[in-house]
Amino acid sequence: MSVFAGPLNRLIDELKRMPGIGQKSAQRIAFHIERSAREDAQRLSQAILEVKDKIRLCSICNNLTENDPCAYCLDPTRDPGLICVVETPYNVAGVERTREFHGRYHVLHGALSPLQGIGPEQLKLKNLIGRLKGGTVREIIVATNPNVEGEATAVYLSKLIKPLGVKVTRIAMGIPVGSELEFADEVTMLKAMEGRREI
Amino acid sequence: MPLRETEAIVLRTYRIGEADKVISLFSRQLGRIRAAATGAQRPKSRFGGLLEPLSYVRLCLFERENRELLRLNSAELLESFFAMQSRDYRVQLAAQYMVEAGERFLPEREVSERAFRLFLTVLRGMQARGEIHLPLLYFDYWMLRLGGFLPPLDRCLACGRSLTGLAARYSTESVGLSCAACQAAPVRQSLAAEIIGLLGRVATTRLDVLLAAEGLARMAQQARPVLEKWMEISAERKFVSLQMLAEE
Repeated sequence: MSVFAGPLNRLIDELKRMPGIGQKSAQRIAFHIERSAREDAQRLSQAILEVKDKIRLCSICNNLTENDPCAYCLDPTRDPGLICVVETPYNVAGVERTREFHGRYHVLHGALSPLQGIGPEQLKLKNLIGRLKGGTVREIIVATNPNVEGEATAVYLSKLIKPLGVKVTRIAMGIPVGSELEFADEVTMLKAMEGRREI
Repeated sequence: MPLRETEAIVLRTYRIGEADKVISLFSRQLGRIRAAATGAQRPKSRFGGLLEPLSYVRLCLFERENRELLRLNSAELLESFFAMQSRDYRVQLAAQYMVEAGERFLPEREVSERAFRLFLTVLRGMQARGEIHLPLLYFDYWMLRLGGFLPPLDRCLACGRSLTGLAARYSTESVGLSCAACQAAPVRQSLAAEIIGLLGRVATTRLDVLLAAEGLARMAQQARPVLEKWMEISAERKFVSLQMLAEE
């Protein structure tokens, strides 16, 4: 017999399926929901359903959006000649936080990872090539993760895009701001030296 | 909680929670193991790029009784294969095939110095030449041999006739070679005598010597599908990275 009543148990089981939530956290959240007002619980369930019903991929850049095309693709103040290619929609938020990038985005929804069965066919590349054929794009900034998969994806993209006459650049890699050289590992240090710039 | 020090090759990493990683390792002194690296996902992690796939590292690990998962205390890079994998997608596929095969063929906690040296030799071979056919053929041959799956290559498995200097046939459904006269199995493909000769050389010659020889890469490309098929039959599974490599 279960320790909790049926509906509570079902809620705990559903919460446990979410990333990073174990039994204890699921119980805590479930009891919080049970104690909260009915309107609060309704708002939460409504928000979950709205995400499922209203969020889709932008037909231009594959970012998650409520309206197609997304706000970044429609914004006339953004430079259409500059596209930042990222792996996931939350990488867009990471770049946006800098407030320094005023181009547009393209989300691949992954990186080349043979062990996970992700090859070029699984990445959202077709509409990226389509965007480049218009002739307005001057530069592609490849901002995939600085790991083996991300680097291989960047090299693959550059081979694919360069023949189209578009400049391909890669985000810099190296020592994180605020850390110390003393603690940098060899791979990171090498990347930092390779990516040095004139001052 | 004993502290263990070992050399290891990082096979792959899995993200756990917001900041940690679990690393699958093939270690020299402890065999194939898994360890938790706390904070390894953070940008300022002390592990940095050390835990990228196929890095050759020296590790200090804490081992707790009755716990399968070890805890990574510190890591030092001995050799990195990051650049070769990130430069060429085919090399990345080849390297990840080694990871897939390693995780299937190497039993957990079973020390194998020869398999460890094989991994290093093949990775160094790929890094030195940027060529994948001969290193992969060498890897397949020795993985099958060390695992006890390699059939005799000098005689027909069905009738025992010597295959020296002769073309042979192989089946896509079973491991082993047969002579032209024995064709009992349904799907048989022929294998030139020179390919069988190359497999004989792989058995007796160092990889760096093979890589320096002229014209072997082309022959290795022809020989690879045979051993890869045998690898899949022996592992009782298809390797995803191998299929992707074939499509490239």
